[in-house]
Amino acid sequence: MQTLIRSLNHQIDNTVKYILLLLIFVCPGTSWPQVNPVPSSEVKAVFLFNFANFVDWPSTSLLSPGEPFIIGVLGENPFGSYLEKSVLNEKKDGHPLVIKYFSNIEEAKNCRILFINLQSPEQLHHTLMAIKGLNILTVSDAPEFAKSGGMIRFFIVNNKVRFQVNMEAVKDANLVISSKMLRLAEVLNSEGP
Amino acid sequence: MKQVTKETSIQTKLMRVMLLTCAVILMLTCIGYFGYEYFYFRANYISQLSNIGKIIASNSTAALVFDDHTAADEILTSLKTDPHILAAAIYDKDGRLFAKYPPNLPDIDLPRAPAFKGYRSSSSNFEGFQPVMQENKFLGTLYLRTDMRAMYQLFEFYSLIAVSVLSFSFLVAYLLSRRLQKGISQPILALAETSRIISQRGDYSVRAIKHSDDELGLLTDAFNQMLAQIEIQNLEITSLNQKLEQKVSERTFQLEEANKELEAFSYSVSHDLRAPLRIMNGYASLLEEDYQNLLDNDGKKLIQQVKRSSVKMSLLIDDLLAFAKLGRKEIVKSSVNMNALTKLVSIEIDKFTEHKAEIRINALLPAFADPALMENVMTNLLSNAIKYSSKKAAPLIEINSEQGNGEVIYSVKDNGAGFDMQYADKLFGVFQRLHGSTEFIGTGIGLATVHRIITKHGGKVWAEGREGIGATFYFSLPEN
Repeated sequence: MQTLIRSLNHQIDNTVKYILLLLIFVCPGTSWPQVNPVPSSEVKAVFLFNFANFVDWPSTSLLSPGEPFIIGVLGENPFGSYLEKSVLNEKKDGHPLVIKYFSNIEEAKNCRILFINLQSPEQLHHTLMAIKGLNILTVSDAPEFAKSGGMIRFFIVNNKVRFQVNMEAVKDANLVISSKMLRLAEVLNSEGP
Repeated sequence: MKQVTKETSIQTKLMRVMLLTCAVILMLTCIGYFGYEYFYFRANYISQLSNIGKIIASNSTAALVFDDHTAADEILTSLKTDPHILAAAIYDKDGRLFAKYPPNLPDIDLPRAPAFKGYRSSSSNFEGFQPVMQENKFLGTLYLRTDMRAMYQLFEFYSLIAVSVLSFSFLVAYLLSRRLQKGISQPILALAETSRIISQRGDYSVRAIKHSDDELGLLTDAFNQMLAQIEIQNLEITSLNQKLEQKVSERTFQLEEANKELEAFSYSVSHDLRAPLRIMNGYASLLEEDYQNLLDNDGKKLIQQVKRSSVKMSLLIDDLLAFAKLGRKEIVKSSVNMNALTKLVSIEIDKFTEHKAEIRINALLPAFADPALMENVMTNLLSNAIKYSSKKAAPLIEINSEQGNGEVIYSVKDNGAGFDMQYADKLFGVFQRLHGSTEFIGTGIGLATVHRIITKHGGKVWAEGREGIGATFYFSLPEN
């Protein structure tokens, strides 16, 4: 009887410890997310990496074994080291993920995903025209990016990073975005606004 | 009517046996089926739930990685198509609640964090955790909880089917057994009907019809054989009876004839005996009167003796005659006031007897009898009592009556000489005397007369006594 009570007490102690631990680790994250916001650049870095998992590249452009899956950044790097962190040890279909920084679009043509950090519309237009027809998923922060032929544009709603997708551009590049991802996106159609 | 209940009883018994067997087998089958279904359903349902979980988990990968709570909530909301899903939740890879369903469900109703892997059933729920994976990468956990209503609904449905199948099978079993039991019950019922006819009409010529060659056929044969034997024996008994009756009536006739002859004989004998006696008495008187002077005292005494003897014999013959007459006389019954009758008799006796005795007549019940014969009975019994108590210093005679079982019992009790009880059965025979005639004079016909009268009335006579103490004579008469 006594041993039973003792073991029960022990269990309760463990449970209490567990709950306390949970409270310590869980509560700050769920209850007060806006108090300690995650920098949006970190979120974007993670998203950028995740796009690799929700986009299918055409079979005609298969990477040869061992060839890296390149995520490129054109223009100034807004992510600091977040991108490197998020792709660390990650693979896409067996290909290691690699981050590369470009200043010239001509160098960035073997990218799979390209984050374009250019603000001027002329530069944007020029860049997009340069890689038109290539199987590159283009991503940017630029406000008119999707409307001017880019594929995915990040924007902030209620302190949260969301994205806009230009389906026509995605189709033109022969890319297929998973419906799971599209469900989360604001989709811009050719017929749409 | 009674026959009908008997008929239904054997048929019902047979059908009950068959239906009960069917019902038990059906019930056992149903129980087995239900047990199987229960376990099968659980396994099936858990696998179904796990499949739903996999689909939802696969759909929610993007929502998790892109940190879109709204989208995750929407994905979970799609679960509302299954009304049995009570709750669902998605936890992120750190175990934090990410999305839930239904949206208004309080967090307290959900597990704080993923607790185990896989699906299980609790007392009223099925629940389980499903990891959300993408390319072997753990993204989070999906939690699902369903009620067991689906199972209960299924079981309700199965019960309905089971009840219908049971009822239908029962109906079929009923109809079948009703047909099949006839093979057994019909020959038995036919036998029963035959025996009923026989016992009602007493007609042993009826035979049961044999339906089959089984045990029932044997029974029918044995029954018919018994009937044949009874019929033969009945015939024998009847013929014997007839012979016997004939013999009895012959004997009765002979007996009556003999009785008549005997009575006629005794009457004529008594009557014819009186004439010579009268002559004897007359000549003795003449001798006494005419030869008074020639006879000495001894001679006179002898003549006196002759006269006394002839008178005594005359009395004896009178009594015998009266006794014989009694045998032929028809009794005419009416209500008799025994009190008045006994009083008259006692006064009458008192006149003619030299013995004096105290006679106490207690209130006597009325009798339904022939008054003249009752007077005879009382005269005999009272004079007897007086006679046998004459040697006592204070003779006392008591007359009583009491109500018996459908009869009235009268008794005459004296404190006289009494008698030995071992001779009690001889008291009422003709000429039977327990005391010598020198001791108490009498003819020995009185009690025989009483016996004859009371017997003719359908009553009984008996006596109790002790030598030297007294005697009590009883007679009973049937009530009106």
